[in-house]
Amino acid sequence: MSRTLEEVQATIQIAKLKENDLQNTIHCLTFGESASSGDYCLMELDDTLCKHIEAGKSLVIRGDLDERAVLCSEDKTYDLKIADTSNLLLLVPGCLTPDQLTTDNQASSQLVHAQIWGFSNSYWELRKRHPKLKKLKKLLMENPYEGPGVSGQEDVPEGKYTMGDLLERIQASEEELEAQLQTIHACEVNGYWRLLDFDYEMRLLGHITQLVDSESWSFSKVPLRVSLEELGCLEPQEMVEHSLNCYGRRYTDNDEVFFALNEDKVCRATAQMLLQNAVKFNLAEFQEVWQQSVPEGMGTRLDQLKSLALVDRSSKPETIFLLRVEDLPEDTLERFTHLFTMREKWTEEDITPYIQDLCGEKQTTGALLTKYARLSTQNGIKVFNSRRTVAT
Amino acid sequence: MVQIIINSSVDGAGPAEWLLVELQGEMVSRQNSGLAGNLMGDLLYTKEGVPVLIVGHHILYGKVVKLEKPFAVLMKHSGLPQGDEVPMETNHQNPTTYSVAALIKKKLIFKTRPKPIITNVPKKV
Repeated sequence: MSRTLEEVQATIQIAKLKENDLQNTIHCLTFGESASSGDYCLMELDDTLCKHIEAGKSLVIRGDLDERAVLCSEDKTYDLKIADTSNLLLLVPGCLTPDQLTTDNQASSQLVHAQIWGFSNSYWELRKRHPKLKKLKKLLMENPYEGPGVSGQEDVPEGKYTMGDLLERIQASEEELEAQLQTIHACEVNGYWRLLDFDYEMRLLGHITQLVDSESWSFSKVPLRVSLEELGCLEPQEMVEHSLNCYGRRYTDNDEVFFALNEDKVCRATAQMLLQNAVKFNLAEFQEVWQQSVPEGMGTRLDQLKSLALVDRSSKPETIFLLRVEDLPEDTLERFTHLFTMREKWTEEDITPYIQDLCGEKQTTGALLTKYARLSTQNGIKVFNSRRTVAT
Repeated sequence: MVQIIINSSVDGAGPAEWLLVELQGEMVSRQNSGLAGNLMGDLLYTKEGVPVLIVGHHILYGKVVKLEKPFAVLMKHSGLPQGDEVPMETNHQNPTTYSVAALIKKKLIFKTRPKPIITNVPKKV
């Protein structure tokens, strides 16, 4: 029942095409048996994903029933949407394109029977996006690590998550998840990823800075071995080393491992420790106490506190209060609404640290402000306020 | 939460490369018997590499286009796959997985208006 070369050649004649104008290979397309089964779909890729698939690596779709699905490679996250087209897309496995037809494989007229394996008029569209990581901190805060030997707490598996557990709950790629774990100073304890209780984290850091002070070391050259020896009786060595990794940069000098403590990180953590105990502080008093609380030789600067604290210059006296970007809504519109509810008018300098993480690929905070805020001038200074009326 | 794995290699080699043929409009079979098993048409190429499609009583001219964004053809598999650790949703008996059947990097697109073929031309004796 399948078409013969003669039948096709007759069709060509009737269609008034000249065989001389044509290549010798003719494909006869028929619909395959499973073409209508529908157990398949098309997914649009970018170059990176294409190479990823050619290398044999797999991808994962992640999402709760009430969440929009995302697609993850080992290091990137994409939004997944279905796009419709008014055209019909036929999928043909055995079909050659003109560049694949050489004079060699076309000695004479030949008919190739190619089956249409499937067809569609929609496909999955992917768009790269930020991983949705806010949930990570929320999960790890269920059971923060307060150090070993805190009675009763360490034996229960509730509120403790392995990497596998986290990958099942968070819409992010594994690499993005690992990077975030590092950013929030999480630590793997007995196979579970744990967030440190902030007081415990500060206690560990305090041990280290006190040791640096009593030994008169430079805080750019904190020796690992001696630190572990001296502090090992107070805290587990892994936790001491974890703290050094979080707040310093590791390097070797003559085969010995040292850490250069990061002034900004230490000052920032110290500020958080001071600010979290009250609704707001007198700015001048805070700056004095803050400088006194950081290790000798480190300098505190207000710009170290971007995305952590906000100064209110309109109050008399000026005040400062804790405002952490990670405590704000993850959705862009919700974030802006929240910020404008808190404070009606923002300078660009004040608001930028609180919207920086919302920027997409190649998007600037300026572009976000243009879209979500209204610019005006107050006393010669550019300020931004909400585009909509916000109930205060 | 659900995790659905898309596997890309079944036997170690990369996925095959298929061709996409894009047509405007939709296809229905003449006898309304469904499309499976039916002839769609003849695909020819001119010596200049222009693809020509003869479908029923129409002839369409198209062009070869390299896709800016390639496609993956994903096949759905419900039920347990052969492989190793697939995370199981405790609610689902058989987790769904997908595999990449093929990649598509080029297409033939037929956008011009089909020209009708007049067949009742009596042949000159």
